[in-house]
Amino acid sequence: MLMPTGSGGSGGGGPSGGVAIPELGRRLRWVALAMILAFCGLIGRLWQLQVVRGDRYYERTVSNVVHERFLPSIRGKIVDRNGVPLADNRPAFNIYVTPKEFGDHQAELDRLLGLSEEESAKVTERLAAGQKRNPRQAVMVLEDQGEDRAALVQQARFRLAGVEVRHEPYRHYPQGELAAHLVGYMTQMNERELDRLAPLGYDASELIGRYGLEYEFENYLRGKKGIERFAVDARGQRIDDEAAAGLIQGERLIEPVAGYNVVSTIDARLQRLAERAVAPHRAAAVAVVEVKTGRILALVSKPSFDPNVMTGHLTRAEEALLNSDPRKPFTDKTLAARYPPGSTYKFVTAIAALEDGLGAEDEQIDCKGAIEVSGTRFRCTAAHGKLDMIGAIQHSCNVYFWQLAQRIGMDRMAAVAEAYGFGRPTQLGLNGDSGGRVPTKAWYEQHGRHRIGDTINAATGQGDVEVTVLQMTMAYAALANGGTRYVPQVVDRVEAADGHVVVQYEPRVAAEIGTPPEVLDVLHRGMWKVVNERGGTAFDHAHSDVVEFAGKTGTAEVRTRKNKDKPKVELEGWHPSRSHAWFAGYAPATDPEIAIVVLIEHGGPGGRVAGPVARQILEGWWTKIRNNPGGGDAP
Amino acid sequence: MSLWKGFGELPRSQVGVTRWQRFRASVDVPLVMIIAVICGVGLLNLYSATHGTRHHAKFDQQVQWIVIGSIAFVITTLIDYRALVRLAWIAIGGAITLLLVVRLIGEAAHAKGSYRWFNLGALGGQPSEVAKIAVILLLARLFHDAEVHRLRWQDVALRCIALVVPVLLIAMQPDLGTSILLVLLILSVGFLCMPNLWPMVYVTLAGLATVPIVWENMHWYQKQRVLAFLDPGADPTGAGWHTRQSIFAVGSGKITGKGWMHGTQNQFDFLPEHWTDFPFSVWAEEWGFVGSVALLAVFAFLLVWILNVAMSARDRAGTVICVGVGAMTFWHVVVNVAMVLGMAPVVGVTLPFISYGGSSLLTFFVAMGLVASVSLRKHGY
Repeated sequence: MLMPTGSGGSGGGGPSGGVAIPELGRRLRWVALAMILAFCGLIGRLWQLQVVRGDRYYERTVSNVVHERFLPSIRGKIVDRNGVPLADNRPAFNIYVTPKEFGDHQAELDRLLGLSEEESAKVTERLAAGQKRNPRQAVMVLEDQGEDRAALVQQARFRLAGVEVRHEPYRHYPQGELAAHLVGYMTQMNERELDRLAPLGYDASELIGRYGLEYEFENYLRGKKGIERFAVDARGQRIDDEAAAGLIQGERLIEPVAGYNVVSTIDARLQRLAERAVAPHRAAAVAVVEVKTGRILALVSKPSFDPNVMTGHLTRAEEALLNSDPRKPFTDKTLAARYPPGSTYKFVTAIAALEDGLGAEDEQIDCKGAIEVSGTRFRCTAAHGKLDMIGAIQHSCNVYFWQLAQRIGMDRMAAVAEAYGFGRPTQLGLNGDSGGRVPTKAWYEQHGRHRIGDTINAATGQGDVEVTVLQMTMAYAALANGGTRYVPQVVDRVEAADGHVVVQYEPRVAAEIGTPPEVLDVLHRGMWKVVNERGGTAFDHAHSDVVEFAGKTGTAEVRTRKNKDKPKVELEGWHPSRSHAWFAGYAPATDPEIAIVVLIEHGGPGGRVAGPVARQILEGWWTKIRNNPGGGDAP
Repeated sequence: MSLWKGFGELPRSQVGVTRWQRFRASVDVPLVMIIAVICGVGLLNLYSATHGTRHHAKFDQQVQWIVIGSIAFVITTLIDYRALVRLAWIAIGGAITLLLVVRLIGEAAHAKGSYRWFNLGALGGQPSEVAKIAVILLLARLFHDAEVHRLRWQDVALRCIALVVPVLLIAMQPDLGTSILLVLLILSVGFLCMPNLWPMVYVTLAGLATVPIVWENMHWYQKQRVLAFLDPGADPTGAGWHTRQSIFAVGSGKITGKGWMHGTQNQFDFLPEHWTDFPFSVWAEEWGFVGSVALLAVFAFLLVWILNVAMSARDRAGTVICVGVGAMTFWHVVVNVAMVLGMAPVVGVTLPFISYGGSSLLTFFVAMGLVASVSLRKHGY
C-alpha cells in the first residue's frame, strides 16, 4: 500500500523544453492575477493604515505609552491681619482609581476597605464619572481616609490594579467655625461646573471654593497644578529609560506653583470675642470696622457651620438638616440678609431735618405716647414728655422723629439714607452682598400708593426700609469719622508664598458725604447719652466703665406674615414674629476708631439684648486688642 | 534497493568538470539569496523585538535555528527529490502516526488545552510541520502516479483519505490555522495542476458546506478570535486586543516608520508574543509603509522564483513540489500579514523565515531545499 508502484523517478522524465504539467502553464496568468490581487490587497490595507490613518494611529500609540499625572498645587492660606491661619492645608490620604486599569473590581475594593453602602455608592458614582471623562486618568474616589485604609490599599496595590493612595494636601480650617461665612469652604464640582472649568485645568478630583473668600479668591488661592508625564508599558509599569523619555512631548515635569495667600483684614481675636459674645443668642450678626479705613475687623453671622465638615465630608443627611434650619445658616447675615433697621435709622431723619433747617437741636416736641396722622394712630414706646433732639435720641422717642418726618418728607430722608450707603450694595463683593431698600415716593407709586404713614414709618426705620448689617456699620463709621463713607474691605493683600505682595488693597472712599460737623456733633452727643447717661436706651444694660462708647439702639418690629415664615422647627428664644434687637455705635466716644453693629435676629429689645453684646465686644477690644495690635493673645 | 536510489547522488559526472563545480554551476543562487535576505530581515526584527527584555536569548536561539535550517536546506538540496517522492507514502504514514502519538501522550500534559507541542528533547518539533512537508511530497507522488497509471475509484478514495486525515488530526489538536493552511495548500495545488478542474470545484463547495460543522466544534477561544475579528470594537481589552494593538502598531509606523528599535508598541510590550505571530507588525511599525511593501516585494519575488522553478522542472513531481511549496509560502505570508493588518482572525500562522521558532524555520528551510533540489535537477543529464 505504501509502495503501489516500483517504478522510479526515471520513468517520470517529461518532455524537456516544455512544462512538465501543461495545465500549469495555461493557468499561469490566473496564478499571477491571484498573487497580484492578494498582494495589492495587503498593500492597500497598509496604505490605509500607515499613510491615510497613520497620524491618528501614531497619536494612539503615544497615548498608549505616555501618561500624564497632575501634581497638586498647594492652595494658598487665608490668614487674619496678624497671620493667624483661618484656612490652611494638612496632609491627607486620598484614594485614587484609574478606571481603565481597575475594571470592575469594585466589590473587591468594598470588601477590602469595609466600605459602607453610602461610601460604596459614592465610589461607584465617581468611577462612572471618571470613566466617562477619561478612563486613563485616576479619579479620587475616597478622600481624606485614615491611615488604616491607606495601608490596606498600599498592601493590595498589586492585587487591585489601578488603585493608589496619594498623599495630598487637604484643606483645613484650624479655627473651626470661626468666621466661617467669611472664610467659606470648598466642595467637589458637579458635572456642569467641571465641563466649564476643565479647560482651566480643573479635574474631577479637585475641590473648588464654594463660599466666602474661598470662592471669591479662588483664582489667587488655587495656584497652578504641575504635570508629570511619563511612559508606561502595556502592564502599566512605569519606564524611565531614554527611549521612553524620547516619546514624551513637552516638559516631563512641570512643577506645581503654590497658590497665593490671602491676608484678611479681620482680627481673629476680635472675631472670636464677637462670636463668644453672641453665643447665648440663637441667631445674630456682628460687624466691626475701622472707621478711618473701612477695614473690617470682625464679621459674625450666626448660626454658622464648620467649614471642615462642609469641605468634602458633609453627608446628605447633615446637609438636609442644615438646609432645613429656619435660621438659614448659609445666609451671611451681615451681607445678604436684609432687616428693618428700627431706631438705628433715626440718624437719617435727624440729619435731614438739621441740614434743611426743618428741625433744631433745641426744638422741643411733646411726646404724649402716640400721634395720630390722617386717621392712623402711631404709638411711641412711652409717653416721653417734652424732649429736645438730643433727648429724643437718648430716649429713642418715636414721636419726635415722626413729627420731623412730616416736615421733611419721604424723598429727602431717602436722599440722606442713600448718601450714607443704604439702598446699594456695599461693594464688599462677598456672599451675595445685598443692596437693601430705601423706599421713595416713586417706589411707593410703583408698588401701590404712597401714604403719609409710609413716611412716618420710614423715619424710624420701619415700614419698607431694609438694610444690611454691614451697610449700617459703614454708615455709623461715616458718622463717627466726620462724614467719609468708605468701601468696606475684608482683604488687605494677596501675597505669594515667599511673602512678596501680589495685590495690595488700599482703603477706598465711597463718598465724602459732606454732612456739616455741627449736625454730626448733635448726633454724637445724643448717642453718647444713649449709652452713658441714665435714661439712655442702652444705659441700663450696656453702659461700660471700661470703655467709653456711643451708639444707638434699635428694636425693629417685624411684619408677621401669616404661615409663610412659620418655622418648621421650633427654637427656644427665637421666633420669627419677635422684633430684631439692634445696637449700632462706635468707640471710643471721642475720636472714634471703630464702628460696631450688633443685630440679634428676633432677639427682642435692642438696648437690653444687643447692647450688652456690643459692650462685651468693645470692652474686650479696648482691653486686649486695641493696644496690642501685633497679635499674641491678651497681654 | 531502488528505494534508496538517488540519495546523496548528484547528477552523473561529466568529463573534465568536478562535482563541486557542477554543483556550483547548477545550484539555485537567487533562491539562496532571497532566503538569506528574508532571514536577515527576520533577525534584525527579532533583535529589535527582544533586545533588553527577558526574551533577548531568543535572538541567539533563532541564529542557531537558522544554522541548523541551512544545514537541512543543503542536505535536502543534495538529495534527489525523486527519491523523496518515492518515500511519500512512508512520510505521510509517519506524519499521521506522529500526530496520533502526540494526541495520545499529550492527553495528560500541556497547557492551553492544546496538544500541539511535541517535545523531542531540546528540539521542540511539531508533527503538523512534518505533515506539511509530507503532504507536499504525497501530492507530488499522486500527480506522478496519475501519469503512469489508470486509477480505480478505490485508489482515488485512498488518496483522498491520506490527504484528509492529517488535516482532521491537526484540526482536532486544535490548530485551526495549520489545518486551514493545509487545506488551502492542497486546493491550490489541485487548482493549478489538475487536468480537469471540476472535481476541485466540487471538493471546494463540499468543504465550504462543512464550515458550520467546524464552527460548532471550535473551541470557545477560537470562536472568540473569529468574533473579535468580525467586530474588533466589541471587546477591546479581550480577544480584540491583539488585533487592535497590532493595527495601532502598523498604522503608527506611517510612511517611513519609527526607526529600528524605536517602535513603541513593540518596545513597550503592547503586543504579547509579537515575535512569533506578529513580527510583521513590529517590522511595519519600525520601517513604515516603505519597509512593509519592500518586505512583501521580497516575498513576492520568492514566490515568482519558486514558480519559475516549477515551470522549468524536469518532471511532474518536481513541478508539483514547487507549486506545493509556493502555495504554502504564499498562504503563510498572506494569512499572517492579513492577520497582522486586522484582515483575518488571529490564527497561529507564522511568517516564513521571520517568525521566531525552530519548527517553522526548519519546515521552510526543508521546503526550500526541495525547491532547490528540483531546480538543481531541472536539466536531465
